[in-house]
Amino acid sequence: MNRRTAALSAALALAVLLCAGFLLWRQSHAQPGTTAQIYQFGELVEEIPLDQVTESYTIPLEGEDGAENVIEVAPGRIRVRRANCPDQVCVRQGWISDSSVPVVCLPHQVVIQITGGEGDVDAAAG
Amino acid sequence: MWTPPPAKGTRRLTRLALLTAIALTIFLVEAQIPVPIPIPGVKLGLANIVTVYAVFVLGCGDALLILVCRVFLGAVFSGQMMTLFYSRGGGLLCWLVMVLLRRVLTRRQIWLCSPIAAIFHNLGQLLVAAVMLGTWVVLAYLPYLVIAGAASGLFTGLCAQFLIHRLDAISRS
Repeated sequence: MNRRTAALSAALALAVLLCAGFLLWRQSHAQPGTTAQIYQFGELVEEIPLDQVTESYTIPLEGEDGAENVIEVAPGRIRVRRANCPDQVCVRQGWISDSSVPVVCLPHQVVIQITGGEGDVDAAAG
Repeated sequence: MWTPPPAKGTRRLTRLALLTAIALTIFLVEAQIPVPIPIPGVKLGLANIVTVYAVFVLGCGDALLILVCRVFLGAVFSGQMMTLFYSRGGGLLCWLVMVLLRRVLTRRQIWLCSPIAAIFHNLGQLLVAAVMLGTWVVLAYLPYLVIAGAASGLFTGLCAQFLIHRLDAISRS
Protein backbone atom coordinates (compact mmCIF):
# COMPACT_ATOMS: atom_id res chain seq x y z
CA MET A 1 0.00 0.00 0.00
CA ASN A 2 1.59 3.28 -1.03
CA ARG A 3 1.38 6.59 0.83
CA ARG A 4 -1.38 8.01 -1.34
CA THR A 5 -3.62 4.99 -0.80
CA ALA A 6 -2.95 5.09 2.93
CA ALA A 7 -3.79 8.80 3.14
CA LEU A 8 -7.01 8.45 1.17
CA SER A 9 -8.15 5.40 3.16
CA ALA A 10 -7.40 7.24 6.39
CA ALA A 11 -9.44 10.25 5.22
CA LEU A 12 -12.31 7.96 4.27
CA ALA A 13 -12.23 6.12 7.59
CA LEU A 14 -12.05 9.44 9.45
CA ALA A 15 -15.08 10.81 7.59
CA VAL A 16 -17.11 7.71 8.43
CA LEU A 17 -16.06 7.76 12.08
CA LEU A 18 -16.80 11.47 12.41
CA CYS A 19 -20.27 10.95 10.98
CA ALA A 20 -20.96 7.99 13.26
CA GLY A 21 -19.78 9.98 16.25
CA PHE A 22 -21.90 12.96 15.29
CA LEU A 23 -24.98 10.74 14.91
CA LEU A 24 -24.46 9.20 18.34
CA TRP A 25 -23.96 12.64 19.86
CA ARG A 26 -27.06 13.98 18.16
CA GLN A 27 -29.18 11.04 19.28
CA SER A 28 -28.10 11.35 22.88
CA HIS A 29 -28.84 15.09 22.87
CA ALA A 30 -32.21 14.98 21.09
CA GLN A 31 -35.00 16.71 22.97
CA PRO A 32 -38.66 16.96 22.05
CA GLY A 33 -39.49 19.90 19.81
CA THR A 34 -42.62 22.01 20.02
CA THR A 35 -43.65 22.99 16.50
CA ALA A 36 -44.05 20.85 13.41
CA GLN A 37 -43.79 22.48 10.00
CA ILE A 38 -44.99 20.83 6.81
CA TYR A 39 -43.42 21.98 3.56
CA GLN A 40 -44.61 21.10 0.08
CA PHE A 41 -42.73 22.18 -3.06
CA GLY A 42 -40.53 24.31 -0.81
CA GLU A 43 -43.39 26.28 0.71
CA LEU A 44 -44.72 26.14 4.23
CA VAL A 45 -48.26 24.75 4.07
CA GLU A 46 -48.97 23.91 7.69
CA GLU A 47 -47.60 24.76 11.10
CA ILE A 48 -48.71 22.71 14.09
CA PRO A 49 -47.89 23.43 17.75
CA LEU A 50 -47.28 19.81 18.75
CA ASP A 51 -47.32 20.54 22.48
CA GLN A 52 -50.94 21.72 22.22
CA VAL A 53 -52.23 18.67 20.38
CA THR A 54 -54.44 16.58 22.65
CA GLU A 55 -55.99 14.15 20.20
CA SER A 56 -54.59 12.49 17.08
CA TYR A 57 -55.86 13.61 13.71
CA THR A 58 -54.80 13.33 10.09
CA ILE A 59 -54.08 15.91 7.41
CA PRO A 60 -54.45 14.82 3.78
CA LEU A 61 -51.86 16.57 1.64
CA GLU A 62 -52.45 16.49 -2.08
CA GLY A 63 -49.76 17.16 -4.66
CA GLU A 64 -49.50 17.01 -8.42
CA ASP A 65 -50.85 14.13 -10.54
CA GLY A 66 -52.78 12.44 -7.73
CA ALA A 67 -49.87 12.48 -5.31
CA GLU A 68 -51.07 12.11 -1.75
CA ASN A 69 -49.48 11.99 1.70
CA VAL A 70 -51.71 11.49 4.72
CA ILE A 71 -49.98 13.04 7.70
CA GLU A 72 -50.91 11.96 11.21
CA VAL A 73 -50.51 14.40 14.07
CA ALA A 74 -50.43 13.09 17.64
CA PRO A 75 -49.53 14.72 20.97
CA GLY A 76 -45.84 15.59 20.69
CA ARG A 77 -45.16 13.66 17.49
CA ILE A 78 -45.93 13.48 13.80
CA ARG A 79 -45.56 11.00 10.93
CA VAL A 80 -46.65 10.20 7.41
CA ARG A 81 -49.32 7.59 7.90
CA ARG A 82 -50.02 6.73 4.30
CA ALA A 83 -48.64 7.87 0.94
CA ASN A 84 -48.92 6.77 -2.65
CA CYS A 85 -45.30 7.52 -3.48
CA PRO A 86 -43.36 4.65 -5.08
CA ASP A 87 -40.66 4.16 -2.46
CA GLN A 88 -42.71 4.58 0.79
CA VAL A 89 -39.59 5.86 2.52
CA CYS A 90 -41.56 8.65 4.19
CA VAL A 91 -44.05 6.16 5.69
CA ARG A 92 -41.34 3.81 6.91
CA GLN A 93 -39.50 6.64 8.61
CA GLY A 94 -42.26 6.57 11.23
CA TRP A 95 -42.85 9.05 14.01
CA ILE A 96 -40.57 11.98 14.69
CA SER A 97 -40.71 14.02 17.87
CA ASP A 98 -37.47 16.01 17.86
CA SER A 99 -35.61 18.28 15.51
CA SER A 100 -32.71 15.93 14.75
CA VAL A 101 -34.05 14.46 11.49
CA PRO A 102 -36.96 15.57 9.28
CA VAL A 103 -39.35 13.26 7.44
CA VAL A 104 -38.87 13.65 3.71
CA CYS A 105 -40.90 12.35 0.78
CA LEU A 106 -38.60 12.97 -2.17
CA PRO A 107 -41.00 11.95 -4.97
CA HIS A 108 -43.76 14.25 -3.69
CA GLN A 109 -41.42 17.00 -2.45
CA VAL A 110 -42.86 16.99 1.05
CA VAL A 111 -40.79 17.78 4.14
CA ILE A 112 -41.96 17.61 7.76
CA GLN A 113 -39.62 19.14 10.27
CA ILE A 114 -39.85 19.88 13.97
CA THR A 115 -38.44 23.04 15.45
CA GLY A 116 -38.30 24.55 18.90
CA GLY A 117 -37.41 22.80 22.11
CA GLU A 118 -33.97 22.69 23.68
CA GLY A 119 -32.29 20.31 21.29
CA ASP A 120 -32.48 22.48 18.20
CA VAL A 121 -28.99 21.62 17.04
CA ASP A 122 -29.70 21.45 13.33
CA ALA A 123 -31.18 24.90 13.10
CA ALA A 124 -27.93 26.17 14.58
CA ALA A 125 -25.80 23.95 12.39
CA GLY A 126 -27.54 25.13 9.26
CA MET B 1 -1.50 -3.75 -15.90
CA TRP B 2 -2.89 -4.62 -19.32
CA THR B 3 -5.16 -2.07 -20.97
CA PRO B 4 -7.30 -2.90 -23.98
CA PRO B 5 -6.72 -0.69 -27.04
CA PRO B 6 -9.28 2.14 -27.34
CA ALA B 7 -12.21 1.07 -29.48
CA LYS B 8 -13.31 3.31 -32.33
CA GLY B 9 -16.39 3.76 -34.53
CA THR B 10 -18.93 0.96 -34.50
CA ARG B 11 -16.98 -1.08 -31.98
CA ARG B 12 -17.01 1.81 -29.51
CA LEU B 13 -20.68 2.53 -30.12
CA THR B 14 -21.58 -1.11 -29.58
CA ARG B 15 -19.56 -1.30 -26.39
CA LEU B 16 -21.17 1.88 -25.02
CA ALA B 17 -24.65 0.64 -25.92
CA LEU B 18 -23.99 -2.75 -24.34
CA LEU B 19 -22.68 -1.23 -21.10
CA THR B 20 -25.59 1.23 -20.95
CA ALA B 21 -28.02 -1.67 -21.37
CA ILE B 22 -26.29 -3.65 -18.62
CA ALA B 23 -26.29 -0.64 -16.27
CA LEU B 24 -29.95 0.09 -17.01
CA THR B 25 -30.93 -3.52 -16.35
CA ILE B 26 -29.07 -3.58 -13.03
CA PHE B 27 -30.64 -0.22 -12.11
CA LEU B 28 -34.20 -1.38 -12.84
CA VAL B 29 -33.80 -4.73 -11.09
CA GLU B 30 -32.35 -2.98 -8.04
CA ALA B 31 -35.25 -0.52 -8.01
CA GLN B 32 -37.59 -3.48 -7.40
CA ILE B 33 -35.79 -4.43 -4.20
CA PRO B 34 -36.95 -2.39 -1.20
CA VAL B 35 -34.15 -0.81 0.83
CA PRO B 36 -34.25 -1.97 4.47
CA ILE B 37 -33.04 1.42 5.75
CA PRO B 38 -35.78 4.08 5.55
CA ILE B 39 -33.55 7.04 4.79
CA PRO B 40 -34.11 8.97 1.56
CA GLY B 41 -31.28 8.44 -0.90
CA VAL B 42 -29.81 5.28 0.63
CA LYS B 43 -29.38 2.45 -1.84
CA LEU B 44 -26.79 -0.06 -2.96
CA GLY B 45 -26.25 1.60 -6.35
CA LEU B 46 -25.21 -1.57 -8.16
CA ALA B 47 -25.47 0.17 -11.54
CA ASN B 48 -22.42 2.18 -10.54
CA ILE B 49 -20.29 -0.94 -10.98
CA VAL B 50 -20.64 -0.20 -14.69
CA THR B 51 -19.79 3.49 -14.20
CA VAL B 52 -16.65 2.69 -12.19
CA TYR B 53 -15.64 0.07 -14.72
CA ALA B 54 -16.15 2.51 -17.60
CA VAL B 55 -14.18 5.32 -15.94
CA PHE B 56 -11.16 3.08 -15.44
CA VAL B 57 -11.28 1.01 -18.63
CA LEU B 58 -12.96 3.14 -21.32
CA GLY B 59 -12.05 6.60 -20.07
CA CYS B 60 -13.87 9.48 -18.46
CA GLY B 61 -15.78 10.77 -21.49
CA ASP B 62 -17.27 7.42 -22.43
CA ALA B 63 -18.17 6.80 -18.78
CA LEU B 64 -20.07 10.09 -18.70
CA LEU B 65 -22.02 9.10 -21.84
CA ILE B 66 -23.03 5.79 -20.28
CA LEU B 67 -23.93 7.47 -16.99
CA VAL B 68 -26.11 10.19 -18.53
CA CYS B 69 -27.94 7.71 -20.80
CA ARG B 70 -28.50 5.28 -17.94
CA VAL B 71 -29.82 7.94 -15.57
CA PHE B 72 -32.18 9.34 -18.19
CA LEU B 73 -33.45 5.96 -19.39
CA GLY B 74 -33.70 4.74 -15.80
CA ALA B 75 -36.03 7.61 -14.94
CA VAL B 76 -38.10 6.98 -18.09
CA PHE B 77 -38.41 3.22 -17.57
CA SER B 78 -39.10 3.37 -13.84
CA GLY B 79 -41.69 6.09 -14.48
CA GLN B 80 -40.26 8.37 -11.82
CA MET B 81 -39.13 11.48 -13.58
CA MET B 82 -38.44 13.14 -10.22
CA THR B 83 -35.54 10.78 -9.65
CA LEU B 84 -33.93 12.21 -12.78
CA PHE B 85 -32.99 15.41 -10.95
CA TYR B 86 -31.63 13.69 -7.85
CA SER B 87 -29.65 11.03 -9.72
CA ARG B 88 -28.29 13.51 -12.23
CA GLY B 89 -26.97 15.84 -9.54
CA GLY B 90 -25.44 12.94 -7.65
CA GLY B 91 -24.17 11.19 -10.76
CA LEU B 92 -22.40 14.23 -12.17
CA LEU B 93 -20.64 15.09 -8.91
CA CYS B 94 -19.67 11.44 -8.49
CA TRP B 95 -18.28 11.34 -12.03
CA LEU B 96 -16.30 14.54 -11.48
CA VAL B 97 -14.72 13.13 -8.32
CA MET B 98 -13.87 9.89 -10.14
CA VAL B 99 -12.21 11.84 -12.95
CA LEU B 100 -10.02 13.58 -10.37
CA LEU B 101 -9.29 10.36 -8.47
CA ARG B 102 -8.47 8.58 -11.73
CA ARG B 103 -5.39 10.82 -11.99
CA VAL B 104 -3.99 9.71 -8.65
CA LEU B 105 -5.31 6.16 -8.36
CA THR B 106 -4.64 3.11 -10.54
CA ARG B 107 -6.92 0.23 -11.32
CA ARG B 108 -5.62 -1.56 -8.26
CA GLN B 109 -7.27 1.07 -6.05
CA ILE B 110 -10.79 1.02 -7.46
CA TRP B 111 -12.01 -0.31 -4.11
CA LEU B 112 -10.90 3.03 -2.65
CA CYS B 113 -12.04 5.28 -5.48
CA SER B 114 -15.58 3.96 -5.45
CA PRO B 115 -16.55 4.72 -1.81
CA ILE B 116 -15.17 8.27 -2.05
CA ALA B 117 -17.12 8.81 -5.27
CA ALA B 118 -20.24 7.28 -3.67
CA ILE B 119 -20.05 9.74 -0.78
CA PHE B 120 -19.91 12.61 -3.24
CA HIS B 121 -22.80 11.06 -5.18
CA ASN B 122 -24.89 11.15 -2.03
CA LEU B 123 -23.73 14.68 -1.25
CA GLY B 124 -24.72 15.87 -4.74
CA GLN B 125 -28.08 14.16 -4.44
CA LEU B 126 -28.70 15.81 -1.10
CA LEU B 127 -27.75 19.25 -2.41
CA VAL B 128 -30.20 18.84 -5.30
CA ALA B 129 -32.85 17.72 -2.80
CA ALA B 130 -32.15 20.77 -0.61
CA VAL B 131 -32.63 23.08 -3.60
CA MET B 132 -35.74 21.29 -4.87
CA LEU B 133 -37.38 21.03 -1.46
CA GLY B 134 -36.36 24.60 -0.66
CA THR B 135 -34.99 23.73 2.76
CA TRP B 136 -31.59 22.91 4.17
CA VAL B 137 -32.98 20.67 6.92
CA VAL B 138 -32.51 17.68 4.61
CA LEU B 139 -28.78 18.05 5.27
CA ALA B 140 -29.56 16.38 8.61
CA TYR B 141 -29.32 13.17 6.59
CA LEU B 142 -25.76 13.85 5.48
CA PRO B 143 -24.04 11.77 8.21
CA TYR B 144 -26.24 8.77 7.38
CA LEU B 145 -25.56 9.20 3.68
CA VAL B 146 -21.78 9.47 4.17
CA ILE B 147 -21.73 6.17 6.09
CA ALA B 148 -24.12 4.48 3.65
CA GLY B 149 -22.14 5.80 0.67
CA ALA B 150 -18.86 4.48 2.06
CA ALA B 151 -20.38 1.03 2.65
CA SER B 152 -22.20 0.68 -0.66
CA GLY B 153 -19.30 2.28 -2.55
CA LEU B 154 -16.87 -0.22 -1.08
CA PHE B 155 -19.14 -3.04 -2.22
CA THR B 156 -19.63 -1.76 -5.78
CA GLY B 157 -15.91 -0.86 -5.96
CA LEU B 158 -14.86 -4.39 -5.05
CA CYS B 159 -17.35 -5.76 -7.61
CA ALA B 160 -15.86 -3.50 -10.30
CA GLN B 161 -12.34 -4.48 -9.30
CA PHE B 162 -13.04 -8.21 -9.56
CA LEU B 163 -14.93 -7.61 -12.80
CA ILE B 164 -11.97 -5.83 -14.40
CA HIS B 165 -9.55 -8.61 -13.45
CA ARG B 166 -11.86 -11.26 -14.90
CA LEU B 167 -12.50 -9.30 -18.09
CA ASP B 168 -8.77 -8.69 -18.53
CA ALA B 169 -8.21 -12.42 -18.32
CA ILE B 170 -10.93 -13.07 -20.91
CA SER B 171 -9.63 -10.39 -23.30
CA ARG B 172 -6.10 -11.76 -23.18
CA SER B 173 -6.99 -15.39 -23.74
